[in-house]
Amino acid sequence: MGIPIAAMSLPVAIMILLMLVIILTLAVFLIATIVELFKINRGLSTVIGAVGEIVAKSAPVNGVVDAINGNLVKGRDLLENLFIKKAGDDAGGLVESLFPGEGAKFLQRVGRRGPVVNTGIVYTRGVDILASLGRGAPIGAAHAKGPAVRDPKYATTAASMLYPRPGGDPKARPKSPVVGTDSPRQYESATTPGLRPRNRDGSDAPPPPPAPEMPTGRVESRQAEPEAAPPPPSGGGADAPPPQSGGGDDAPPADSPGRLNVKGSRPWER
Amino acid sequence: MSSNFWLWLMNIILVISIPLLFIMVKGVLMAAKSIVPRIEAIAGVGAAISKDLDAVVVLLTTQNYISQIVGSVADYGGSLDIALPDA
Repeated sequence: MGIPIAAMSLPVAIMILLMLVIILTLAVFLIATIVELFKINRGLSTVIGAVGEIVAKSAPVNGVVDAINGNLVKGRDLLENLFIKKAGDDAGGLVESLFPGEGAKFLQRVGRRGPVVNTGIVYTRGVDILASLGRGAPIGAAHAKGPAVRDPKYATTAASMLYPRPGGDPKARPKSPVVGTDSPRQYESATTPGLRPRNRDGSDAPPPPPAPEMPTGRVESRQAEPEAAPPPPSGGGADAPPPQSGGGDDAPPADSPGRLNVKGSRPWER
Repeated sequence: MSSNFWLWLMNIILVISIPLLFIMVKGVLMAAKSIVPRIEAIAGVGAAISKDLDAVVVLLTTQNYISQIVGSVADYGGSLDIALPDA
């Protein structure tokens, strides 16, 4: 260049030095930035490849999902139409009994209107099934005729029509007896405990039965029975058991004591 | 004013502008460096998504099954239509 440094003035030399510093600084940082931009470029190339794979793999999803939804909607419509055909006006109530709060939505979706009566409140699910299947039963017949038997407003009426008076006429029922100290006196007071002189209607009471003999624990001789025991029925024939004693007389001897055992005499067990 | 005055004034402006230039250029470099790890993270996530979408092919089998199930339901509904009386 031909300009000697010694010939420059001091301000010019400082200016040139500052210019060099600025240029070097810009060069260093701009080169580093370029290197980083190259790295970014390589990363974006990798990302674009992955995004391309995602787009390619998810492309048929819409068609497949739409086809699945279409098939499911067809199946739902089929079952709903069958349900409406079989359940009729009770369809909303049945849905309400199984899924509370969904009965009205179901009717709205299928384009029907009407009150939604929860059939599960009136009858249990088993009764509903029996009513639907067994049309011969009274409840089934009522169900077949109309929804009144399932309507809670008319449920009691339907039951009373089937069974008008389960307890009979209330006027014909006897009154409850009066008990306690204020109860009416029905019998004449007895002088002897256990003996009733008259009946409640005033007629003479029957004589008291003889007191049974109490066992004494001793062996006693008893008189013969005034009357023999009645013979066994003749229809027994050959099947009748043979008498234990000979002679054909079932009565024991007159002077025989009662049956003896370890507890003593038991004349009533002859 | 003499020419030296203007030269010294220019030198002062250059001295002041050097740190400002250094700060700004360094900021650009730092921003460029911060983009690189994010790009690498996005590339990893994209590869994972692409791998997860390999199961999308199974939807074709599901579609076939759904078609068969709906056909069976239709047959069952037809039988119920005959077996149960209408309301």
